[in-house]
Amino acid sequence: MIKKNRKKTQTKFPVPIPLVALVLVLAGLSLVYVCLQSRTETLGREIKLLEASRDRLRDQLVRDQCEWARLQSPSNLEQALKQHGLVMTWPNRDQIVRIRYDGSLDTPRGLDSRQASRVARADRIVMNVN
Amino acid sequence: MSTETRGSTRFVIIVALLGLAMVGLVIRLVVLHLGSPEQDRATSAKTRTFKQTLTVPRGRILDGSSSAGILALNVGVKDIWADPSVLLASNLVSRTVKSLSSLLEFDTAEVTERLCRTNSRFAYIARLVPDEKADQVEILKLPGVHMDDASTRSYPQNSLLCQVLGFVNSDGVGSWGLEQLMEKYLKGSPGLIESRLDGHRREMMDRRIREVPAKDGADVILTIDQNLQYIVEKALDSAMERNRARAAFVIMQRIRTGEILAMASRPSFDPNRYREARDPQKINRAISHTYEPGSTFKVSVIAGALDAGVVKPETMFDTENGRWLYQAKILRDYHAYPRLNVADILKKSSNIGAAKIAIMLGNERMDRYLRAFNVGGKLGIDLPGEEGGIYPAVAKWAPISSSRIAIGQGVSVTGLQMLSILCTIANDGVVMKPYVIKQVVAADGTVLLRRQPEALRRAIRSDTAALMSSLLARVCEEGGTGTKAGVEGFRVAGKTGTAQKVIGGHYSETDYMASFVGFLPVENPEIGMIVVFDEPQPLHTGGAVSAPVFGEIAEQVVRYLGIIPAEGSVPAHRAAPSASNETF
Repeated sequence: MIKKNRKKTQTKFPVPIPLVALVLVLAGLSLVYVCLQSRTETLGREIKLLEASRDRLRDQLVRDQCEWARLQSPSNLEQALKQHGLVMTWPNRDQIVRIRYDGSLDTPRGLDSRQASRVARADRIVMNVN
Repeated sequence: MSTETRGSTRFVIIVALLGLAMVGLVIRLVVLHLGSPEQDRATSAKTRTFKQTLTVPRGRILDGSSSAGILALNVGVKDIWADPSVLLASNLVSRTVKSLSSLLEFDTAEVTERLCRTNSRFAYIARLVPDEKADQVEILKLPGVHMDDASTRSYPQNSLLCQVLGFVNSDGVGSWGLEQLMEKYLKGSPGLIESRLDGHRREMMDRRIREVPAKDGADVILTIDQNLQYIVEKALDSAMERNRARAAFVIMQRIRTGEILAMASRPSFDPNRYREARDPQKINRAISHTYEPGSTFKVSVIAGALDAGVVKPETMFDTENGRWLYQAKILRDYHAYPRLNVADILKKSSNIGAAKIAIMLGNERMDRYLRAFNVGGKLGIDLPGEEGGIYPAVAKWAPISSSRIAIGQGVSVTGLQMLSILCTIANDGVVMKPYVIKQVVAADGTVLLRRQPEALRRAIRSDTAALMSSLLARVCEEGGTGTKAGVEGFRVAGKTGTAQKVIGGHYSETDYMASFVGFLPVENPEIGMIVVFDEPQPLHTGGAVSAPVFGEIAEQVVRYLGIIPAEGSVPAHRAAPSASNETF
């Protein structure tokens, strides 16, 4: 009697290797696609948020510019000075010292030479000198 | 069939089925992405695609001072609207109106009526609501109430420079003044976004189809300085009140360049509330209103006669003791003089003297000089609504015309034209084109337009201009008609004018146009200015009404601009204000 061969016979892999490879590649590509899609969507949402934030900041800037222009307007400045009891007038001709490029002075009447040189050192236009 | 064979077959079948399912899914995926029927694709694209126009802020208008003050800009606001069907379904109309009326200003009855329209799904509650108030509304979270972004034009300085700036209508289109003229630069170009939406109606950034970036409106920078404008308007307002005038205007020009530094007209309006303004308030009288200039016009005729060599400053004229019959019509002087030379004819403003000079000059030559001074033609200022005045062709002049035109009758000019004549004399005889727009700068900093001073023509020789300047300076000195225009420390040149208004075809005995036009400093002219009052009461002469305003403004302007008096210049005589001290 012939002894039964109990050694398991070597069976061939039932699915073709190229098909498996194709499926794996497709699965990989799908995974990459989903990842990229998700990342893009996240970036899109961030861009939208930043755009909205930019628009809000721009609106705020314009409103502040408008308010600043109103505050800086000559009529508002005058009103503010009045409100705080500050009296400002243009200086009279004899209250202005002009310093020329050559260093000489156009001294106001009544300003002695010592005062004039002090003024020249100060390098500025003196107002309201009495 | 063995057990192994059966197992292997089942495995193959299962794998095959799974494979088929996968293939089916892939095919469906491909069909969905690429091959769906045309109609489905169109419907899908329509519902999931949106187009958004990106509105751009209109450019700003800035003044010409070093601080570049903002005169006009666009501010973001909200339009608040509601869906009446939602409010009606939930019976929330009265509650919504009550909640909103505490925050917003609107006609509650009208809004309630709008919200009760059953067949409507859209009704405005309030438009152009400031963002701060809109934020308060948002906190209330009222069902069926929505907000849309909008923008409105704001003029932070209110009525300052209103006629020059103009205004923008509710559609955002410039409709008056510079807003209208510079529309193409200010409006910019809107952008566009075309994209797809997801199931939650949110934009899918990765599916953005088209994006055209918006181009912000360019900024327009003026030559006008807001500080000078304020000085002018303040002085004009107080003088309007003092003289109870019907209207008035002032123009200030830089002599050497033609830049307009200030331009004010009264009555005025607030461009933030332009709908409430009446037509007379919107008119820029400085360039759109023509009037008979009266004695100020003598300057052009005398300058022409001196330039042509017909007369000299010392040439004597018989001024007929203030009453002269010419061409069967009587011409009178306000103050009677027997004889005056040319210099004094100008200083004392003698009508008879000026008429005789015009006759000596002759019609043809006089016409040539007047046209050279741009009388009868527009100067081409960059503002809408400039008038050219009324000046008849010389061929149509009556024998009496030259004698009347010489004293500013039978000819109409705008304030700008009259100022230009004086500025031409101050500018060595060269007519400069006046302008208010210094430059236009795009949002990215590119300069789109830069205006340079432009000389139009030479009207008189340089030596004649210098001579005329010195003669005009005498008008503002002791004994002249314009002493009240004097500025301490400076020599001022100018001419007063008091023109009777033509009412019903006749010269009125009660209604006058009082004017003063001049420049300073005489030695090195920097600024020219004209001040005109329409029907001032009770004083009505240029010397009493307009000259003091010129002096008041000039006094501050020379300090603001840092104009230095010439060496050895004599402080101007400034007569004390007096109601009886009327001069012609």
